[in-house]
Amino acid sequence: MKVVTVGTGMAAAEFVQRLRLDGFGDEIVMCSDEGFAPYSPCVIPFYLAGEPLDTVYWKGKDFYGRYRVEARLSDPVVEVDTEQRLVRTANGRNETYDRLFYAAGARSWYPRPEWLDTRGVFGFKTLSDMVAIDRYIGEHNVRKAVVFGGGFIGVDAALALWHRGLDITLVHRNTRVLSQMTDEEGGQFATRKLAQKTGIHIRLNTTVSEISANGGQLAAVQFSDGSTMETAMLIVSIGVAPNSEPLRGDDKGVPGDPQMLAESGIYTAGDVAVTRHAVTGATGIYATYPNAMQQARTAARHLLHGDGAFGGSINTNVLKKHIDFPIVSAGAFSGEAVTWQQGDIWRRVYLKDGMINGYIIIGDTRISGYVYQLYLSRKRVDRTIREILSSPRHDSYYRSMLGLTMPLAA
Amino acid sequence: MKRIFVQYKKCLACKACETACAVEHHPAGSLAAALGDRKTQVNVRVLGIEHESFPLSCRHCDPADCLDACPSGAISRDAESGAILLDAAMCKACAMCAMVCPFDAISFKATHRSCYDRDVAYKCDLCNERVKAGRKPACVEACHSGALVYADYDANRLKQASKSLRAYLLGEEGLPPQLELFRELRRKEFARRRGGE
Repeated sequence: MKVVTVGTGMAAAEFVQRLRLDGFGDEIVMCSDEGFAPYSPCVIPFYLAGEPLDTVYWKGKDFYGRYRVEARLSDPVVEVDTEQRLVRTANGRNETYDRLFYAAGARSWYPRPEWLDTRGVFGFKTLSDMVAIDRYIGEHNVRKAVVFGGGFIGVDAALALWHRGLDITLVHRNTRVLSQMTDEEGGQFATRKLAQKTGIHIRLNTTVSEISANGGQLAAVQFSDGSTMETAMLIVSIGVAPNSEPLRGDDKGVPGDPQMLAESGIYTAGDVAVTRHAVTGATGIYATYPNAMQQARTAARHLLHGDGAFGGSINTNVLKKHIDFPIVSAGAFSGEAVTWQQGDIWRRVYLKDGMINGYIIIGDTRISGYVYQLYLSRKRVDRTIREILSSPRHDSYYRSMLGLTMPLAA
Repeated sequence: MKRIFVQYKKCLACKACETACAVEHHPAGSLAAALGDRKTQVNVRVLGIEHESFPLSCRHCDPADCLDACPSGAISRDAESGAILLDAAMCKACAMCAMVCPFDAISFKATHRSCYDRDVAYKCDLCNERVKAGRKPACVEACHSGALVYADYDANRLKQASKSLRAYLLGEEGLPPQLELFRELRRKEFARRRGGE
């Protein structure tokens, strides 16, 4: 049985590794538009911040050799022909398959794709982006940059470049950065603290409306409020779109069933896959590493053994990079809000029917694992959650286990 | 495979485990060097909760949520000892592990294992090299009261874990009389401090 993966990302690498470790001995081909061994998108910004390139290869740089994989690199898959069971690439190669693992990931979405033709304008999604940005900063001695987009990737980009010593202006159209990961108040708290701690200039309710170039080289950007800023570098990170066109004909993602099958003989996983949320049941793209892992393992197990099912995705995430100021969240931000704040720490849990509907924990991680487990296990916490959030010693889990209640406030 | 079990009722909160851990994981291997060194790494923490105390460290869970959450290839399981290990050279301190650990067993700071002059995740490594050489973990060896026990982790424990995390953490029970007396006195002292007696 010949297995082909579209993508060499984290889901595809986990899938292939599982197959091999579980004894699968037949042919495996992995296809990618990039030319690298499987790398971790979570890690690549650290390369820009000055850490060794080798650490991005989280399953080893020798992955293809170690797992006996034919790697077809630097040649994007443009079409999946499900009738003839083959994939076609941009260079005209046809690769037949018995089983296909479609994990093509997502790409940066650009409001003005032509901006990328100007030297000094970059996306911030792939290792190719990082290598290009690194080279450009070195060659042009870049001292300051504008990051357009303050979602997870935009803040990640701003922090990595700030860590490298650049003067950063982060432009975001919303009222707060990380607007998907936070509610209004939590997001504004995080925005304020991030600006204080780093000196990154954050411009909210603003977008980049135009760029000006000089001989094909970026010279300045114009903001939606009419002001302009001279800069030699612009990072555009305002959104991503799943690479689902070759299989589905549109960019709305690939729905997977509980076995991660998109259709007969074709599995999907990772940032292109549409799955159900484990708690809410809502379908969507839940693009985080732990989800991709579980989806890939489900697919590998089903391919080899014909059993197993994916338990659902969780929209939990954390941003803690380059500075010790984590921002953790999960679930939906609606219901009864219970909030606690002290100094740099801000915690809020949303309750629904006495259970955690969503939560945001900013400034430390100490109770985040416990709250995550309470969220997943659907325990009633309406009587205890105030104590859990405010416990000065972050020991509520151990308290509950030892059967000791919180002391009454003096 | 063996694990460290906590019989918290025997814990006197003397913190000998913390000291032994700090020395064991310090590059100089001495208390004098570990004291006052900001990079000193202490992988076990004695929590004082009212009149009880509890030495808290990584449970080396199986399956381990942190291992499944780590996107940088820094966390692995030692096939021989079963220990969950953290490679500081690969760790990006992204906190995906800490975000899912129910036991709050993972912390962050610049340690002697940091490679890039920044914080990394650190946690109990089960004294992996020691235990593979047939010795006990440093904290267990240092525990005078028998609160920390290095014992076989049998398959039943997994079943116990699903039934009761309490049994999973605490292992067997049963206290010598002097410890019962100590606990009773400590309980009374805490009650007195609260103004109850």
